[in-house]
Amino acid sequence: MTPEPTSPPSVHLGLRSRLIAAFALGALTLSVLMGAIAYFTTRHTLIVEKQDAALHQAYANAALLRNALSNNVPSISDVVASLDTGSGTTSLLNDHEQWFSTSLSVSRTSIPPSARQVVEAGSVATQTAPGSGAPNLIVGVPIPAVHSAYYLLYDLTDLQHTLRVLLIALGAAAAATTLLGAVVGLIASRRTMRPLTEVSQAAVSIAEGDLSTRLPVDRWDPDLSGLTSSFNAMVDRLEDRIDRDARFTSDVSHELRSPLTTLSASLGVLEANRSSLDDRSRQALDLMAGDLRRFQRLVTDLLEISRIDADSDTLALEEVRAGELVRRSVAQASSVLPAMDAPAVHIADEAERAILEVDKRRFERVMGNLLENALAYAGGATSVDVDVSGDGSHVEVSVTDEGTGIEPGERERIFDRFYRGSTSGRRGNSEGSGLGLALVAEHVRRQHGTVRVVDNPDATGTVFIVSLPIVVATPLTDEEEGA
Amino acid sequence: MAERILIVEDDERIRSSMRLSFESEGYLVSEAASGEEALDEFSASPPDLVLVDLMLPGMDGFEACRAIRASSAVPIIMVTARNDTNDVVAGLEAGADDYVTKPFVPKELAARIRALLRRARSDETESSAVKEFGDLVLLEDEGVLKHRDGTEVHCTRTEFRLLAELAAHPNKVLSREQLLESVWGYDYFGDGRLVDVHVRRLRTKIERDPALPEHLVTVRGMGYKLVS
Repeated sequence: MTPEPTSPPSVHLGLRSRLIAAFALGALTLSVLMGAIAYFTTRHTLIVEKQDAALHQAYANAALLRNALSNNVPSISDVVASLDTGSGTTSLLNDHEQWFSTSLSVSRTSIPPSARQVVEAGSVATQTAPGSGAPNLIVGVPIPAVHSAYYLLYDLTDLQHTLRVLLIALGAAAAATTLLGAVVGLIASRRTMRPLTEVSQAAVSIAEGDLSTRLPVDRWDPDLSGLTSSFNAMVDRLEDRIDRDARFTSDVSHELRSPLTTLSASLGVLEANRSSLDDRSRQALDLMAGDLRRFQRLVTDLLEISRIDADSDTLALEEVRAGELVRRSVAQASSVLPAMDAPAVHIADEAERAILEVDKRRFERVMGNLLENALAYAGGATSVDVDVSGDGSHVEVSVTDEGTGIEPGERERIFDRFYRGSTSGRRGNSEGSGLGLALVAEHVRRQHGTVRVVDNPDATGTVFIVSLPIVVATPLTDEEEGA
Repeated sequence: MAERILIVEDDERIRSSMRLSFESEGYLVSEAASGEEALDEFSASPPDLVLVDLMLPGMDGFEACRAIRASSAVPIIMVTARNDTNDVVAGLEAGADDYVTKPFVPKELAARIRALLRRARSDETESSAVKEFGDLVLLEDEGVLKHRDGTEVHCTRTEFRLLAELAAHPNKVLSREQLLESVWGYDYFGDGRLVDVHVRRLRTKIERDPALPEHLVTVRGMGYKLVS
């Protein structure tokens, strides 16, 4: 069975991994190349040295043997045994097919036939041949004067051992170099990536709305300073654009103030003389008055939200008791929402005296907008409950209506500017600007609170819950109030 | 006799519409288009209340406010284009008694005007109580605040009334809302900043160290009280 040919997996290595891999691969290639050169050079040198030494010795021994043989020494084997060969070498003499060896383990069979042929033809043979254990370097020198041949067997165990150690050392060095390459790659990639990381962090912070974020420009690297300056230029333009948009909204609203003031003062005069008008004129007046209020409201809300956008809206924070704050705000808000029954306000004991740090005017806007919203979505119902509870760290103000409720899918969008909810249950003649809940969200956020929407657990309808941090949970005793 | 309102406003159309509106409510109206004109008009026919826009060409509303306040205790309402705390506080510190923000609701402005005029009238029939605290003597019938050595402490009518109100309930905490109601005559319209700014101004006049008040003290989360 042959394995299915598999297409190479589409590996998408990150920039960092690719850099590390490239460095490691480069280091590996380089170190293997260097190692190979070092190994083969060393090996060659060592072998040549050995060969030279062996050759010299073989010549010398051959000369000794020739003298001995031509003088007809009584014991050839004694002469052979007396040859100075050094450790790891064996001498072998072939005297008319009579073999004399200095080692029992070496005999005529140790000499490869090819070497013998060369020597018997009258030349010097240098050859490597497998011996017992390690290979031998064999040098054969013919001694033609006495029709003999001398062989010097050089044991290469040492050499081989040396080479093996060298190979291991070079391999280890290559591995270490590769690892080092990878580490260098890692460091280099980090350094290379750092500006990218900075860019991405900056982009995140800009996306989160902090348009003052810029990259540091004191980069000496010309490649990076290009990126930095173009990034910063982009944010400059973006900020400029957003500023211009915000300014435009603010300018438009400002310009609308004066004619609105004139309109509303003049309309006030007409309304004061309402009784002297005929029916149709009165209807027209009421329409004008209603829409003028709406217009005024829209301009006020636009100005308020553009001030928040431009960060020029300073909070007037003061410390107030949650109970009184909510009661007052609700009373004030419901006084200007005539279609509404005064909401029932329940304040839990633990929240009553808790001190919050709020901007009262803005908190009143929050309550007013929530009550107005409750009314708008109430689908005819006019009863709204306001409950205040506290847990030691936060006060939660819940505005509960019994209207048609808000679809779960709509909940996150109702705090968007100009988001108009589904028409079901919405009263037709609402004076809302479409910015009411957006302002609620902004004001609450700026007072370090949160606002969320849940289903009314007891009936149909919705609960808006504003949570604000408590500054002091149990402030004063009664006598301190000086009552 | 009908009360006179001086409108200081550079936008001619707004001025005309306000004149119409005030006249239909039975007030006499004088107009001025600039700060300089306002001062002339002020001395030509002294009004019972001044409505001054803060953004005026030349001498701005703040300066006009200060100039009028230097010679008179007439109620001043400033009209701001912005509801920024900075503008409001600066206007109140220039001597205004109250403020409205453009575009204002005519009924709301009318209510404020009525409250301030009512108060100004009632000032003329003040009780003859004399209250003392610390080194200070408050002569309500004369509307005068003095040190015990006789040197007078100059303060505006609103400041005086605020102090008198606190002095009427020594050692009792009065909330900003209570003070707005009794001193300014407002129930719903009031802004706590009105009280805060006037308290701050009063402290610079009656406290040895305004940063560490001994008489006019803040009660956290509650309001203010006068320690006798």
